[in-house]
Amino acid sequence: MFDTRENIWAAFWMIGAAILIFALIPLLQTLPPRGRYLLIAFVTFIAGLFFAAEFFLPVDEKTGKNFLTDPFQRLQGSLQVITALSLGLGTYGLIRLHLRNAVQRRAQWGYSIVLLVSFVTMAFFSVWNTLAEKGLLGVQRTPLLERAFTLLFDYTLVQLDATMFSLIAFYIFSAAYRAFRIRSVEASILMFTAMIVMIGIVPLGKFISDSIGLPIMMTDEMRTNPFALETILYSLRLPEVANWILNVLNAPVQRAIEFGVGIGALAMAIRLWLSLERGIT
Amino acid sequence: MEQRTLWSRMMAIDRRILYLILAVNIVGALMARVVLEPNIPPAVRSFYETIEALQPGDIVMVSSTWSAGTLAENQPQFEAVLRHLMRKRLRFTIISFTPPARDISHRLARRLTREQGYVEGKDWAHFGYTPDIVLAVKGMSEDIAQAVRQDVRRVPIQQLEVMRGIKSLKDYKLVVDITPSDTLTAWISFRPRDLKIIYCPTSVMAAEAYTFLDSKQILGMITGAKGAYEYEHLLGIVGLGTRFINAIQFSHVLIITFILLGNFAMFMQRRSRS
Repeated sequence: MFDTRENIWAAFWMIGAAILIFALIPLLQTLPPRGRYLLIAFVTFIAGLFFAAEFFLPVDEKTGKNFLTDPFQRLQGSLQVITALSLGLGTYGLIRLHLRNAVQRRAQWGYSIVLLVSFVTMAFFSVWNTLAEKGLLGVQRTPLLERAFTLLFDYTLVQLDATMFSLIAFYIFSAAYRAFRIRSVEASILMFTAMIVMIGIVPLGKFISDSIGLPIMMTDEMRTNPFALETILYSLRLPEVANWILNVLNAPVQRAIEFGVGIGALAMAIRLWLSLERGIT
Repeated sequence: MEQRTLWSRMMAIDRRILYLILAVNIVGALMARVVLEPNIPPAVRSFYETIEALQPGDIVMVSSTWSAGTLAENQPQFEAVLRHLMRKRLRFTIISFTPPARDISHRLARRLTREQGYVEGKDWAHFGYTPDIVLAVKGMSEDIAQAVRQDVRRVPIQQLEVMRGIKSLKDYKLVVDITPSDTLTAWISFRPRDLKIIYCPTSVMAAEAYTFLDSKQILGMITGAKGAYEYEHLLGIVGLGTRFINAIQFSHVLIITFILLGNFAMFMQRRSRS
């Protein structure tokens, strides 16, 4: 069934871990809420402590590691397992919900049927494709698989995903036309800044600046004389103004915002680590 | 009942008409043969020069964490970057931090490398999908074979010819981060100290990256499909960026025109009322 002995052992480990995890779920359910909370809070605290300690503990000059670095790297594998489990849990929840919708003929149950059929079809060909790609279970790539997967992935999923995102452009256009009104000084500044950046960063900005006769290049002479008319005119080129806005006005503001977000994230992390957030049970 | 003037009609225009105008504008711009010369911003030039400074045989990590949602912006960047790397005869490995990103980047890279005669496993490799970027970057900074183990085709990292002489990220010369999400800060924070980074964000993410450009934590940046066009211009190739730039710039013009029209209508309506 598998290529090597290592894979067989890996499969045993995975099955064992899955059994253990599925056995833990009813065990957790039997605990009273307080006990469940304490258990989860304890595990969360230990996990957080491990990550924080690995980051803050000094490292050996030669190896660049501390005693937690190697276990930290091994954790990457367990994180993949947790991600896979959460994906499995999400899939289970989604299918259960839509199966119930379809069976009980709830409102708009037809969409649930579409979802289930799409899900099963895509999953079937994706798994088949992955097995063929990796040469697992002796599965071979066939013309049917090639055609079906290309049709489903390249010509359906990718295109639908891209279309969904592209629709934002239409909403932005409509919203900008309806909502972007100059009702205050701040709104006026915002609008004119946005316009300069929008035109300045595209080739049209360069074209307009060239067309109205603004200097094309910054010469050495212009650099030495910042108040010369030529230098001032060069600075008024739309791409230069747009770059100045992005580098001189935007960057410090972004830095300030990120600093604030960082402090907020730190506070939030401490609350999560100490299980002070609600809904832990 | 209030009499409907031209201005009030303009302000209450049906959104479907706006959608149609934008659609016609985009289709027309995509079909137009107008090519305006770009202004190359310093960030794009330094992006190009960073890759140009590498020697044939050097190895580059391409962090590709985009999927179909941002295809219009990230695909032109991805294609242009890979073409540049292959033109310079550089080795490269790709890694993704979301599952769809793995599939898209692997399929696209296979197509592009086939055109240029690059062989998977020998000249390039795809490390597949890894769920946590922080753990992955930290792990790869120490030992790639232990952190990643195998490529997307299940070939162990040690057996890949492209990885000959490469143990960790410390042996890499450059990281190219192509992403619509916040993976850049993880690369900056956890990479080996000397590893250079260049960045390909979507347009909406670019504003946040100017701080890192300013601090030289990233050496260059190409912003969305517009940046890809400027980069393609430096490379002297016609790629997706060149094909998309007219749609981008004429949409900008259209949005500005309609914002001005909307405000003019509001102003005129107020004036007629008073």
